[in-house]
Amino acid sequence: MTEHFPVLILLVPLFGALIVVLLGRERPDQCWVTSLISLGVSSLISFFTVIAVLSGKVQTLRYRMGGWPESDGYEVGIELRVDILAALVVFAVTFVGFVNTIYSKTRAGAEVRGKVPFFYALIQLLIVGLCGIVMTNDAFNLYVLIEITSLTSYALIAMGNRRAALSSFNYVIMGTIGASFYLIGVGYLYIKTGTLNIDDIRMVLEQKNLWEHQSIIVAFIFIMLGVWTKMAFFPLHGWLPNAYAYAPSMTGTFMAPLMTKVMVYVMIRVMVWIFGNEFVYSSQPMWGEIVIWMSVLAIVAGSLLALARTDIKKILTYLIVAEVGYMVGGSWLADGVGQAGAFYHILSDAAMTFCLFIAASIIVLRVGDSRVNAFDGLFRKMPLTMIGFTVGALSMIGLPPTCGFFSKWYLISAGIEAGHWGYVCALIFSSLVNAVIFFRIFERAYFGKISGVKEDHFPSDSDANPDIRIKEVPWSMLVPLFIASGSVLLLGIMNRSLFEWIQAALKMMNT
Amino acid sequence: MKIFGLIAVLVVGALLLSATSDFPDWRDKDSPANESPVSSFYIEKTEKLTKVPNMVTAVLADYRSYDTMFETVVIFIAGIGIIAVLRNFDGPNSSSIKRENNDEGGGLLARFTCSLILPFIQIFALYVVAHGHHSPGGGFQGGVMLGASYILAALAFGLSKAKDIFSERRTMIFAAVGIFIYVGWGVLCLLFGKEFLNYEALDPILPGDAKMARSHSMLIVEIGVAFTVTAIMFSMYSNLSTRGRLSKGL
Repeated sequence: MTEHFPVLILLVPLFGALIVVLLGRERPDQCWVTSLISLGVSSLISFFTVIAVLSGKVQTLRYRMGGWPESDGYEVGIELRVDILAALVVFAVTFVGFVNTIYSKTRAGAEVRGKVPFFYALIQLLIVGLCGIVMTNDAFNLYVLIEITSLTSYALIAMGNRRAALSSFNYVIMGTIGASFYLIGVGYLYIKTGTLNIDDIRMVLEQKNLWEHQSIIVAFIFIMLGVWTKMAFFPLHGWLPNAYAYAPSMTGTFMAPLMTKVMVYVMIRVMVWIFGNEFVYSSQPMWGEIVIWMSVLAIVAGSLLALARTDIKKILTYLIVAEVGYMVGGSWLADGVGQAGAFYHILSDAAMTFCLFIAASIIVLRVGDSRVNAFDGLFRKMPLTMIGFTVGALSMIGLPPTCGFFSKWYLISAGIEAGHWGYVCALIFSSLVNAVIFFRIFERAYFGKISGVKEDHFPSDSDANPDIRIKEVPWSMLVPLFIASGSVLLLGIMNRSLFEWIQAALKMMNT
Repeated sequence: MKIFGLIAVLVVGALLLSATSDFPDWRDKDSPANESPVSSFYIEKTEKLTKVPNMVTAVLADYRSYDTMFETVVIFIAGIGIIAVLRNFDGPNSSSIKRENNDEGGGLLARFTCSLILPFIQIFALYVVAHGHHSPGGGFQGGVMLGASYILAALAFGLSKAKDIFSERRTMIFAAVGIFIYVGWGVLCLLFGKEFLNYEALDPILPGDAKMARSHSMLIVEIGVAFTVTAIMFSMYSNLSTRGRLSKGL
């Protein structure tokens, strides 16, 4: 049974999406249940996949689609490949999807009204796409799945408020450029190697010693530019803040933690699996230097832009831009610890962004105002929500025992080992800026006057469910928040073993 | 801003051109893409292993069937994405633009011509779908033709007439059923104990031997693709041409 796990993770939400489209119009209330079940099953399977991969019996699950065997050492068909890194990210994707579906229980009806079935269909297909990206071992299949995630996310964002359509259009332009850059890179690799399987591309590159060829170098540059556009690496980040801030809240809470992180995973995979450390770090030593300085710029600029905003969702989206800088810089440090730290940061950043976005969405919904002064006196009004928010914020600042502390610790120690002080300083600077941003909010929430807050009003939500008018929000929003903040702490506590697994998996590939 | 755009375009173009210098020549039979074992496997073994003379379809619907499944899902997503963004369930009353008389379609001549050629378009479309694994064609091409025939009907006879045949509910069912056929066929292979989309597993329920099972299965997944493409083509047209109201067409 275990060998079929990778494909089952994909198929369950795919069928869930079809059922939702077929039955949804008659019974919109069933959509939530259907997607909850399908994503629950999917995340359960991916949890067992993590256990199966960890248990040591199968270190890497390989799954040949269509059962096509290899011929002369080359894969004829498409292959899925799940090692511990992929299993962890897939579990993160499906689990966040599952928890986010709980959160969407009351919000979906209020925010997308008659289009609830389409929302649930699209979000499940987005999860299929993200899981497929992480598991596939075929460079072109990766592109097809990037297309799936892009199309679904364009539609999901455009379902938001009036300004969402324009920000989604910006995202369409940038996303299309990014995806086609990736495709050009893959095309160049195919011309030079004659295969699309990631392991086989690496094999051919090594056998024929193509490392010096101009087209391989250009292919690498274009693939990198493509994934950087998709992950909103600093100068290419323009589409992200508006898209995530104006999207429906339950879309934002899902996409903010995962979309950029999965693209970081793709970047690490391309760097380590297709091209290999020697090519990336040693053949052109100048590259690493440039990219790390770019990520320093991303971290500093993202933090400063976040500091300049007063809208809580905009602050969080600019912090994502800074976090992407952490991960790109970490994985380019030419050092095992850096890559593993960047990878650990994928998981921890997903957890803490998820936590903060849910908390911020709840607060914006309840208070009806997305500016920072909405937080006045919130510790008294919504203590449970603020506890969740505090955990996420402390992790973003980097205080132990949250996972944000440990990932930052690994990244900083990698920076020190590599002797890259600019990167170390940028990380510390960003921590300080985060501290300023969040303690400003805490101050308001503790000492601010309640009177300034508009009670029980949410502008675009006139037909809102009456049960969100109570003081705290319903359980369907609080439970996801506590699961998210709990996972922030859990990832922090488990950091040692997680980090060792990641390092072992990366080392296995590099030898 | 324009100057930055120009610089970016020039840099990107120069990079791409610089890489063409070490490409293999055109029609070079020893280029990596031609001499790699993957290509020779496709060329030499396809007919033996799948009983399908059209190599392209075999690559599309069998070796890389998993890709094609997701390409079909992409089309499905495009369709429901357009509905999710555009569709206006409030009805025609809120419409600021009134086009009362435009729903009658074309004139007498257009209607007569269309009723004459529509059956031929549709039969040819079905032929392209059904013959995809033997000659050029397949689910995508046939589906587009079939979808275009319904769009032509909508243009000639008016959208409401076309909607009597192909209502919104029916388009959604068709689109979902198409993917259901494709993915379900793959799952069936799973239930017969082989890998997902390994059509050989279906030998017991299909006529012919295991190789023939691959050929038959390709036809079936192509039919699934055709269902989805037809429905989504029409759904896109009707949503885009009426600004999501589905009441008054062009």
